[in-house]
Amino acid sequence: MYLDEFEYYAPKTADETFELAGRLGSQAKVLAGGTDLILNMKQSLLKPQCLIDINGVKEFQGLIYEAGKGAVIGAATKISELEHSAVLRDKYFALHQAARELGSTQVRAMATIGGNICNASPAAETSSPLVALGTKVVINSAAGERELPLEDFIIGNRKTALEQGELLVKFLLPEPAPQTASCYTNIGLRNAMEIDAVNMAVNLTLEADNRTVKVLRLVMGSVAPRPLVSVEVPALLVGQALNSNLIEKAAAAAAGEAQPISDIRATAEYRREAVFVLSRRVLQEAFNAAQEV
Amino acid sequence: MKQQLIQLEINNQLYEIPVTPRDLLVDVIRKKVGITGTKKGCGEGDCGACTVLMDGAPVLSCLTLAITCQGRKIITIEGLADEQGALHPIQQSFLDHGAVQCGFCTPGMILTTKALLDKNPHPDQTSIKRGIAGNICRCTGYKKIVEAIGAAADRIATREVK
Repeated sequence: MYLDEFEYYAPKTADETFELAGRLGSQAKVLAGGTDLILNMKQSLLKPQCLIDINGVKEFQGLIYEAGKGAVIGAATKISELEHSAVLRDKYFALHQAARELGSTQVRAMATIGGNICNASPAAETSSPLVALGTKVVINSAAGERELPLEDFIIGNRKTALEQGELLVKFLLPEPAPQTASCYTNIGLRNAMEIDAVNMAVNLTLEADNRTVKVLRLVMGSVAPRPLVSVEVPALLVGQALNSNLIEKAAAAAAGEAQPISDIRATAEYRREAVFVLSRRVLQEAFNAAQEV
Repeated sequence: MKQQLIQLEINNQLYEIPVTPRDLLVDVIRKKVGITGTKKGCGEGDCGACTVLMDGAPVLSCLTLAITCQGRKIITIEGLADEQGALHPIQQSFLDHGAVQCGFCTPGMILTTKALLDKNPHPDQTSIKRGIAGNICRCTGYKKIVEAIGAAADRIATREVK
C-alpha cells in the first residue's frame, strides 16, 4: 500500500497555517495524527493534492486548565496527553475515560482530539463526552475566528460545519458546576482496539440536597449520524430526586430516542437494547459520583 | 516526484536521506536506512508490528510520513541493546520466558513494552494487557508475552536499569 503523490507543507505558526489553508482550499487536507488521514489515503478514499502538517504549530497543542474558568484543549493535542492528564481525570472524567478507550497505545500516542472530531465518525469516542460536557469549538481562518457548540459543529456522518479554508483550533470546556460528575461508557465486539457499537456520556449536576437532579445531559454515540443529545432523559429527570425506578424509565426513554442502524458491528435491535443497558449504568454511575463530589 | 534530503536521528545516529513527501517511515527505515528489525505487517495501524519509539512514545511507522520526523528521536529494536551488545532486560526477559515464537511481532511488542514500563514501572496484569492491546501476535503467544513483561518490570526495578 503506497500513497499517491502530494505536496507537503509544515507551517510553524497559526497565521501561516490559516494563510495556507485559505490559499490551497479544497486541494489540501490537514495532517494532525494521521491515524485516519494516512489510512484513508492509503486506501485511496482521499486523494488530497497537498497536506498541511500542523504538528509544528505550538498554538494548536496542549491542555490548559484554569480554576473557575474551565479547560482549553488545543486541537492537535494527543489523545495520550488527555489520557494521562490529572486535571481531566478530576474535572472532566467522561473525557478521560473516552481517551483511555480510544484505539491502542500507539494510536493514542499519534491521534489528536481535533482529528477525532473533524473526522466526524458517528462512532468517535471523544464526541459524546465533549458534547455532554458542554464543549464549544473555536474555528479559525485567515478571515477570523468563530465559536460553535460542538453539537452544531458535527452536522452529519463524517460532515462538519468547517468551511473551506477553516480549521478547528481549540476546544473550550466550561468549569464544572459544584456537585457535578460525568461518566462515559461504551460497548463493542471486543474490549481492545474496537470501534464502538454504542457509546454514551452523561454530565450530571445535583441540587444541594445531593439527590435532586439540577442539570443533566446525556449524549449517545454510534446510534445516529451524529452525537445524539437526549431530550427525553433530562425532561424525565431534572427536578426529580433520583432513584432506580426513575433511572429505569429514563433508560427506556433513551432507547426510544436512539436511531440505530444495522451494520458490521451490531444490529439496530442490539444497539437499541445496548442503549437501554448503558444509559441505566451510566446514569447510576454519574449519580453516585456526583453525590461524592 | 522530486526528492529532498531530510535528517533522521535513528538509534542515536544521524542519517541524511533523500525522501519524497509520500515515503512512509517504515519503508525509509527498512529500505533506505537498511535496518530491518522494524516489521511491516498490516500497513493499516492495527497490528503494531511496525511500532517504533518517537521521542519515547510508541508510534506506528506504517502511518507516519518520514518527512514529518525531522528533529525527532527515533528508536527501533536495533537501538535497545547497549553498546557492548548486551540485550535490554525486556529483550532478555522475552527470551527467558519463551515469549518469542515466529518473532514477527516481537520488535513491536518489545518497543511498546519499553514505552509502557517507562510510564508505569510496576504494571499489573490488566495494565500490561491494555498496554500491548495494539500489538497482535498471530502465534497467539500472549500468555508468555504478558509473563515476560511482568518479569522484565521486576528485573528493571531490582537492577535499576532503564
